[in-house]
Amino acid sequence: MHHRFKDIVWLASRDYRNEWQMSSFFVIALAAVLGPMLILYGLKFGIVGSMLSTLIEDPRNREVRPIGSGRYDSAWIEQLREREEIDFIIPRTRAIAATIDLKSESANRIISVEMIPTGPGDPLLKTRVAPQNHQQIVLSEKAAQKLNVKPGDEINGSLSRRYKGRSERVHLTLQVADIARHASFTRDGAFTDLSLLEAAEDFRDGRAVPVLGWSGTNAETGNRTYPSFRLYTRSINDVAPISDAMGKLGIEVNTRAADIDIVRSMDRNLSLVFWLIALIGLVGFSFSLGASLWANVDRKRKELSVLRLVGFRTGEIIWFPVLQSAFTAILGWLTASLIYLGVSYTINGLFATQTEVSETICRLLPDHFLVALILTLGSAILAASLAGYRAARIEPSEGLREI
Amino acid sequence: MMTTVTHPGTAPGVNPSGEKVLIYHLRDVVKTREAEGSAFRLRVPSLQIALGEKIALIGESGCGKSTLLDMLSMTLKPSEIGSFRFRPEPGADPVDISALWQRRHLNQLGDLRRLRIGYVMQTGGLLPYLTVRENINLSRRLLDMQDDGLVDELANDLGIRRHLDKLPHMLSVGERQRVAIGRALAHRPAIVIADEPTASLDPIAAERIMSLFIELVDELHITVILASHAWRHINRLGLRHLEHHTHREADGSLTETVVSG
Repeated sequence: MHHRFKDIVWLASRDYRNEWQMSSFFVIALAAVLGPMLILYGLKFGIVGSMLSTLIEDPRNREVRPIGSGRYDSAWIEQLREREEIDFIIPRTRAIAATIDLKSESANRIISVEMIPTGPGDPLLKTRVAPQNHQQIVLSEKAAQKLNVKPGDEINGSLSRRYKGRSERVHLTLQVADIARHASFTRDGAFTDLSLLEAAEDFRDGRAVPVLGWSGTNAETGNRTYPSFRLYTRSINDVAPISDAMGKLGIEVNTRAADIDIVRSMDRNLSLVFWLIALIGLVGFSFSLGASLWANVDRKRKELSVLRLVGFRTGEIIWFPVLQSAFTAILGWLTASLIYLGVSYTINGLFATQTEVSETICRLLPDHFLVALILTLGSAILAASLAGYRAARIEPSEGLREI
Repeated sequence: MMTTVTHPGTAPGVNPSGEKVLIYHLRDVVKTREAEGSAFRLRVPSLQIALGEKIALIGESGCGKSTLLDMLSMTLKPSEIGSFRFRPEPGADPVDISALWQRRHLNQLGDLRRLRIGYVMQTGGLLPYLTVRENINLSRRLLDMQDDGLVDELANDLGIRRHLDKLPHMLSVGERQRVAIGRALAHRPAIVIADEPTASLDPIAAERIMSLFIELVDELHITVILASHAWRHINRLGLRHLEHHTHREADGSLTETVVSG
């Protein structure tokens, strides 16, 4: 059996080669269906893929922002930090108390910046040095430009308050630990250790800050509460469950879930459109291939009956049209892949100037080529099976004489 | 002119003890075909063909020649079988073809065809995508036979040596028929069945090819069964005629041919 299968492969391929004109028509016809499908899917995968990866890479899409202010204590924040969906959480102090005036030696102006609490693992400061203590800050790019400073420089920070009817101002020396990417914070801002924000809030509330030598009423003993927090989930998929959980706790939140949903549903809909087109194309191709193979069995009736007469078994004759169909599938797939590679190279070249390095307009993974091959082979073999069944029913005696 | 191929044993069809070895032994084999009120029946009360015999089946078309050939080549199942035995070698046990049909062992019948039988068809039946050499060698290839020079020898004897690497469509009809004869003999079958092998040729070419065919069959000690309607020159080749009589019922409802020999 095994040996004669080899013979059938040999005979089927010799016949296929001998009728190369007919064979190439079908290879080209398949490539004409499959090539555009690969390009279409490549475009969908490339464009939607870039959009999704932009969404995933931008940490702001993972942010869950509480609306308004509440009263959250450290214990509650700690408890949330334990949840595995949460990548980063840190409390915020009151926004009105979270500003600081900055002045540098190399620029003759004072700017007022927002302070943003930060800590190790802050998604906005990935690859940047985080402040280690209340004397270190990370400036937003805009603020650093206005102050004309670079990492390592020292700058002067000052806070003012009206206390017991007098206006007071305190100064402290700060070190620029690093400068954040512009995309992380587009206004004038400084990422600081939470302790500096707490100190600024205490100072503005008229309380003493012994560590920094600022005078005032003695600090309250009770637990500090925070009006808000910064929260980032681990991935964009965790945004919805976390915002639902917040909703249950009565905390109203703002997320970019809507943007994420738009891209997601676009991905789904485009996939649906693609599979519809692919289905129509493949079914159409299978029918035309199937019809021609069916007709081939009639055309080659005599030759097939000769094969039966010389002793090929029923099950072996089925392979004749099936193998030829598989040859068409493999060659058509190869041609389509070459067409795709050429076209995608051109498309990506055209858009190269408008896209970022990491983005590709038209892109396929090796897996996609493999899936295309399997689908094509599957439908080609299905198309050939009826013809194979017919071929197997040819009587060997038909080969003995003219009919 | 031709190389003689020696064959072990004594004279063909005769075993050491001197009795005839029957390659075909049929008794009461019947094939009935019915179509719209009229029926055709081929009846073989008794048929014995010895190994090495050369049989001619001569008659008009429609007399049942093809039906008999199909049954003898094991491609057509008889309607009734008394017994049907096939013994391809002097020493071998006879194969019970009737049992193989009844148990539907079609693949075993296919294996028997591949190994023991060669066919020459009316119009060649060559595979157009194989060269002449590959066509002749096809039967050997399917049996995994090593090259022993027979293909070249046959090509030489058949006068088609210079065409060995060509595709069949480049050959004349007569040359193609020679290739078909080569293919039928190349695997040294026990029997060659030829249905009107020269029907598509002009009479002179037909006669030449027919005598060449019989010469080769003789030389290789292969039994042959030949169906033809042109019996003029068949007589000169020393073939045994198989007797058959056809008679029709008066109302035309049944045509029966009886073959025996």
